[in-house]
Amino acid sequence: MLTEKYPSEIQAIFAKYPVKRSAVMPLLYLAQREEGYITKENMQEIANLLDLDVTEVAGIVGFYTMFHDEKAGKYRMQVCTDLPCALRGADAFLEALCDNLGIRVGETTPDGLITLEEVKCLGGCHRAPLFQIQEGDMVAFHENMTVEKTMELVEALRKSVNSSPRAATA
Amino acid sequence: MIVELARGLWTTLRALIFEKKVTVQYPEEKKPVKQRFRGRHYLDRYENGLEKCIGCSLCAAACPSDAIFVESAENTDEARYSPGERYASTYEINMLRCIYCGFCEDACPTEAIKMGDNYELSFTDRRQAIYTKEMLLVPVPPGGKPTPQVTPPGVYTRSVPEMKDPVD
Amino acid sequence: MAKLINLKINGKPVSVPEGTMVVDAAKKAGIDIPVFCYHPKMEPVAMCRQCLVEIGRPVIDRATGQPVLEENGQPKLQFGPKLETSCSTPVSEGMVVITDSEKARAGQREILELLLTSHPLDCPVCDKGGECPLQNLTMKFGPKESRFLYDEKHHAEKHFPLGDLIFLDRERCIQCARCVRFQSDIAGEPVLGFSQRGRHTEIVTYSDPGFDSVFSGNTTDICPVGALTTADFRFGARPWELKSSASICSQCPVGCNVTFNVRREVKAGGGYVIKRAMPRQNEQVNEIWMCDKGRFAGYQYTEADSRLKLDSPELDQALSQAAVKLAESASQAVFLAGGRLSNEDFYTLKQFATRLGAKAYLYTRHGGGEYTTRYGLAPGSNLGNLGKGDTVLVVASDLYHEAPLWYLRLKAAAKRGATLIVANARATKLDEFATFVIRYSYGDEVETVKSLSSKEKVGEAIKNTHHLVIFYGADGLGLTGTTALAQACADLFTSLPVSQTAPKANNGLIGVWSTPNQQGALEMGFAPCADLAAELKDKTVYILAADPAGDDPTLAEALKGAKAVIAQDILETETTRLANIVLPAAAYTEREGTFTSGERRVQRFYPAVPARPGTKADFALIAELAKRCGIDLEGRSALLVMNQIVANEPAFSGITYAKLAEVTEQWPIIGRSDLFYGGTGYENKQGLGVTLSLTPGVSPQGRDKQATLLSPSPAAKEMRGEGLRPKEDELLAVPITKLYDNGTTVAPAKLLAAHIARFDGVFVNPATAKKYGLENGSQARVSLNGVTYSASVLLDESISTGVVLIPRSFGIPLAEPAFVLLTALEPAQEA
Repeated sequence: MLTEKYPSEIQAIFAKYPVKRSAVMPLLYLAQREEGYITKENMQEIANLLDLDVTEVAGIVGFYTMFHDEKAGKYRMQVCTDLPCALRGADAFLEALCDNLGIRVGETTPDGLITLEEVKCLGGCHRAPLFQIQEGDMVAFHENMTVEKTMELVEALRKSVNSSPRAATA
Repeated sequence: MIVELARGLWTTLRALIFEKKVTVQYPEEKKPVKQRFRGRHYLDRYENGLEKCIGCSLCAAACPSDAIFVESAENTDEARYSPGERYASTYEINMLRCIYCGFCEDACPTEAIKMGDNYELSFTDRRQAIYTKEMLLVPVPPGGKPTPQVTPPGVYTRSVPEMKDPVD
Repeated sequence: MAKLINLKINGKPVSVPEGTMVVDAAKKAGIDIPVFCYHPKMEPVAMCRQCLVEIGRPVIDRATGQPVLEENGQPKLQFGPKLETSCSTPVSEGMVVITDSEKARAGQREILELLLTSHPLDCPVCDKGGECPLQNLTMKFGPKESRFLYDEKHHAEKHFPLGDLIFLDRERCIQCARCVRFQSDIAGEPVLGFSQRGRHTEIVTYSDPGFDSVFSGNTTDICPVGALTTADFRFGARPWELKSSASICSQCPVGCNVTFNVRREVKAGGGYVIKRAMPRQNEQVNEIWMCDKGRFAGYQYTEADSRLKLDSPELDQALSQAAVKLAESASQAVFLAGGRLSNEDFYTLKQFATRLGAKAYLYTRHGGGEYTTRYGLAPGSNLGNLGKGDTVLVVASDLYHEAPLWYLRLKAAAKRGATLIVANARATKLDEFATFVIRYSYGDEVETVKSLSSKEKVGEAIKNTHHLVIFYGADGLGLTGTTALAQACADLFTSLPVSQTAPKANNGLIGVWSTPNQQGALEMGFAPCADLAAELKDKTVYILAADPAGDDPTLAEALKGAKAVIAQDILETETTRLANIVLPAAAYTEREGTFTSGERRVQRFYPAVPARPGTKADFALIAELAKRCGIDLEGRSALLVMNQIVANEPAFSGITYAKLAEVTEQWPIIGRSDLFYGGTGYENKQGLGVTLSLTPGVSPQGRDKQATLLSPSPAAKEMRGEGLRPKEDELLAVPITKLYDNGTTVAPAKLLAAHIARFDGVFVNPATAKKYGLENGSQARVSLNGVTYSASVLLDESISTGVVLIPRSFGIPLAEPAFVLLTALEPAQEA
């Protein structure tokens, strides 16, 4: 239960907003803090707290790329394949990336390092192919990417994780 | 007068002796039908034995003499009759009503109903003229399985065969 | 009246009220602009971009504020550089709209081309195929060829049950959000939403159970593609094969106008069967909506396996035997009729009872009819007209469960600015939209109503209102309770200034009955019996469309003590099982007749399917019985009976079948060839019905006299709230009504089984449950009036501790609130 876990923080969030439902995003971040994703129970609880329907909360989680409803590896690699990106080769890039990582979209590498996700619009059409890497609250954009450069980055991440578990993403 | 008579007889004799016979000893002997002949319908199957008919009722809609009656039901992977979600649970053609125009064949999106070669339809009762699905379905092709089949999930998801881009 | 705006659409001059959207203005002028996301019942969102048109506005000289004129004297027009969405553009003075120029057509065509790139085109297997807006618009406005590759078509999940009633095909969805907006804006149950974005956008529901709404079926009507389809009609038929028949829903007193679609089926031996129920537009009753109970249980019971039937000679024999018994008993006969009968049946029964000298009662637990007939709604009433300055009071009724369409209408009225006062002992769904919520303890209903006008804000709202509509229900009330409550409501109404100008439309008292035609019976003077069990002893009892034995074991006992029991019904019930003679009646789907709704609107239903062999319409059976008793009654046709009703029943004067079948044009226009505009609901061609007039000529005394002609109505006893207040360690059991009950007319709906099961149990507060060592779903012993029942416990935080809610019809007979004992059923010994 979030109310039991973070009573003071929830109070603080509520204090910020004159309209209760506006607090939905900060509460979702709170729910995501520990596990890196939001469980259905947490969505229900937030819905109850804000007098919303759980579907409305889930819709917000689904819409934003930085809310997650499934457990993932240490890093989430989110590749945009929306129309402009696709025109700049994002589809082929994603496919090649899958082959190189040995996983399909939505899967996690066996070592638990990378979860590959396909998303729509990260707002960087002119520098596609691009992706963002998320680790906890940290987000890093990687633009004008090639498969080679990406695999180098993955190797770097793997090394940094092996040497120090608290390494930053970028 | 004799001359005219002889000329007439000659015509008869010529036909009898020299010309090829056109009479066919039906039913002992049958003439092959033309390629585009429209005979009694049959319901086709895919090679694996699944029925092509998806119970869409478009043949019934196209039929100018209202001879076709279709009722459909839902496929499951445990009991699959046709690819996709829908199959014909009842399919009947009233052969007395049918005018063999072939519109049903044209309307069919899966080429399930086809008009065959059989023209030998006779009934002693009006009810016999109603051909049921069992009577219309072709036998299961070699290597295929009879319907309903148990199929793996996620394979037969499409009722209408995938459309391809036209190739010029 | 809003200001009228003049504009030209495709050269045609149009005048519409200010604030009208261009698409609606065009519709009024008979010009169709293609739309997908726009729906006339909802706010525009302009998501689909299908309604693109060219719009020009007169150029205004800023200095003078006058339109700039061209050389030829015409106002100079400025067209936008791009096309505009006509669904979200309000009209303005002098506007010029062009919907069919090459530019506008190109815009419309290309949107369709784009939509079709992610549409599977599996029309042959799609239930919407044939009545599909996307199909129709593609034919009319679409491109002949697509420039996109077939191979790159978007593929998604095709068979996704959102709940057990509605299926979603994600591939077919075009993301118009009509369903999402219907659920959140109109139904007030936002259980559908969008997830993801871009081409990944999909409809999701996270409610438990999925798509948890009682209006879910309506989303399939307004879905412009085959993405949402109902489970009952899944692959049931192609729309063009269906014939339609107008009817009235028989599940509650709202009287929703419906259309039954029928076709011939093998399962009926080639005969006609009903394939689906669809709403039929009546803006004064149900607009274009209907609830899931009406859709998925509305006609299903008429096709149940337990339908009664007799061969012709058997029926003849049964009628003769019954007639002998009735003729013998004469004044010792008691007639008991349920509110499922039509007006024609009630009238024939009344004539029979009067001529025979028998007593006739209405079988109901919901009293107060003498007030709703006197202070009911008058002609011209339309809940859709309630708005600012009007007040609606709902007492002791959970409208969401008892009459979902009234819930929708009141929710909308509150949104338009009407003051909605909801008074109930427990939280109900309508509270969310109420201006004032009043809580009382069970037993205090009458006191609460009496004290309303002395309350500060509430009192002001009901005193200063232009119109006042009072709904009273039977939430936690029995016959005496509802009668007393009705009297209190009537007293309140008559004491207010608003009643003095009566009879004014949209003013008065509405009983939230449990049957479709209780109001009709009441208008003819039928009344319930105060002590039914005693009344039945040693009598010959003729029961019609009611199941007292199934409802209450004490009544079953009483029936066993009767001299003879003649039961007339369409389905086998407990009562028909213990009856000496059973007469099989035709269902309302198989015959003609009229129902009187709670709003006193008489509406006609027509036969959808032929009567089953071995059954007859109720009025025909009654007339046949009467004939054999030597009484000549009209039983040839419903129309002839109605002619007599009109002649002899003052309340019905002036009504004819022809008048009931009259229609006037309704707005928005739906259900014609333009399915894309309003959905697949049906246009009303068969009648809007007529509201009964309140006859000032008949004095209240006169009416009462008429009522006593049949039977005395139970005296309204003064209720004492204190008596019902549970003390420590006491639990008060109160009867309530849930939407999906286990009654004769709902239980046969197989699709609703899981929904019905959700209400099978007793509802208690979690704290109460804890106190008695109970959990959600655990079995408990309920001891009531010396009898013990076992039931599962269902938790509900919104009810107060000390109260056990017992849904009616689930096997625990509870007529009036009573104290109960609740004990946990010991869990089975583990081996």
